[in-house]
Amino acid sequence: MFTVHAEDVTKTFREGRETVEVLRGASLRLAPGEVVALEGPSGSGKTTFLSILGCLLTATSGHVSIAGETLDGARPAQAQAVRRRHIGFVFQQFNLFPALTAAENVEYALNLKGVTGRTAEEQARALLDRVGMTDRAKFLPRDLSGGQKQRVAIARALVAEPSVILADEPTANLDSSVATQVLELFGELARREQRSLLIVTHDPRVRRVADRVVGIADGRIAA
Amino acid sequence: MVDLGLKTLLFDKVRFLITVSGVAFAVTLVLVQGGLFVGLLDNSTITIEKLGADLWITSKNSPNLDFVHQFPESNLYRARSVKGVARADNLILSFMQVALPTGAEETTIVYAMEDFSRWGVPWEIAKGSLAGLESGAFVAFDESASKRFGPFDVGDYREVNGQRFRIVGKTRGAKSFTTTPLAFMDYHRAQELQPDLLGGKTSYIVVKLEPGADVAAVKAELARRLPYNDVYTAKAWAERSRQYWVVNTGIGFNAFLTVFLGCLVGVVVVAQTLYTSTMEHLREFGTVKAIGGSNLDIYKMLGQQASVAAVIGFALGYVPAQLLKPVVARADLKLIIVPELTATVFAGTVVLCLLSALVSFRKVKNIDPALVFRT
Repeated sequence: MFTVHAEDVTKTFREGRETVEVLRGASLRLAPGEVVALEGPSGSGKTTFLSILGCLLTATSGHVSIAGETLDGARPAQAQAVRRRHIGFVFQQFNLFPALTAAENVEYALNLKGVTGRTAEEQARALLDRVGMTDRAKFLPRDLSGGQKQRVAIARALVAEPSVILADEPTANLDSSVATQVLELFGELARREQRSLLIVTHDPRVRRVADRVVGIADGRIAA
Repeated sequence: MVDLGLKTLLFDKVRFLITVSGVAFAVTLVLVQGGLFVGLLDNSTITIEKLGADLWITSKNSPNLDFVHQFPESNLYRARSVKGVARADNLILSFMQVALPTGAEETTIVYAMEDFSRWGVPWEIAKGSLAGLESGAFVAFDESASKRFGPFDVGDYREVNGQRFRIVGKTRGAKSFTTTPLAFMDYHRAQELQPDLLGGKTSYIVVKLEPGADVAAVKAELARRLPYNDVYTAKAWAERSRQYWVVNTGIGFNAFLTVFLGCLVGVVVVAQTLYTSTMEHLREFGTVKAIGGSNLDIYKMLGQQASVAAVIGFALGYVPAQLLKPVVARADLKLIIVPELTATVFAGTVVLCLLSALVSFRKVKNIDPALVFRT
């Protein structure tokens, strides 16, 4: 049983009169607890592939299933439901809400998934504790360092215990020691909690925590 | 629940201030313009309301209170003979010329009755008295006339239509739509001043009904006995007079245009700031989607931001509009902000702010989901 199963996925976009084929039969499988690094040059289709696996975009053709739920021909509401249940995101730019404190950033994600009130507050606190950010819970993102922001983002990604975490260049804006700490945290979370982790990266340090490294070029996955 | 919409709105304080200032400015503009218009309309019919007549008998097809033509004063006796009529009196309303000490002339609207005291008009005397008005060439002007006539006082003399009158009283609050000053004099004295126009004629018959009288029945009987006149209830006559100014002159359109421009200013400011804010927060909206939110969650957030801007902007716009009342009064104008106007402007502010958020809805709907991954 794979938590992520993408088979022969294609994606085309219209750009004026031209049709651009970004993905040309990309396939990937992730087992529970597996950490995979996805490497590729700019324009290779990494982000598009990540968006499809994250149910933010739909594939033009091919098969995609997440935690056993197939997304082939899924309507936006169905894709949103799958995303809500099974996927957590970590972004290169952290994408924390600047007006919310660290705790509120996590709590808001819980609210979106239907957890509210005291339960949401307690769960947010517990998640921040898991990433070592309890003492910064009341801080706004502008008052946090890059590493601290990424830890909050990871705590937010863990909301509702997703079976898949998709990370886009999570160490790109971090200095070396902080990047190592964040990657160790990722690896630990994946293995201890049996989550599948796909990290899109250019950072060679990611290889140290990855079980596998796959390359993507010209819209095709090369193992 | 974490209120992302509200916190984001209040996070950028300068932008928030600009948004609510735009709304507040538009609200003040609309309230003041609307209030001035209501004030003018109030002036146009204040004598109808203060006179306390139940019915007004006018010449046929008179368009409003000020623009009347005359009819035989003997019609009064027919009116008095109708069952249910407690009191009926003639009332002259006529434009006359006042010669000023400077040599210039100004127009005044003369109200003339045999006995004003029976009708409680004028309703406020600032100085002097109208008692014995019929015993000589006496006149009372409203104090607001000093704006046009220059300073005057009780005991001074002024020429009205070439005849010297002694000013015996100054009234307060008796105004007209056109701001032409009001004067009060004896009924027969007014007829003497304009014998060709007013000889044996009156402008109105005002009627007070007996307690418990059937208004519709008395009105119908008066109309039957006076086929060359119209009979209105005071309310209907006031409404007809107001409608004349609103519909038949450019004044209504002018007020509408200013109100419309005020609304436009508000909509443009709110739409622009919300749209700019939306553009700047697109990544955040994309993140909301990525972490499990839907378009609807974002629409709600934008709607909430627009509503909060509307409510706070309205409150900030309402206060200066109220504070302007004494300033406007010094210019001899009335700023009347009635509850209906307040409620309409409030509802309009909220609706227009929400409509202006629709521009941002479009942007959110077409948001590129992969935006969250871009640097």
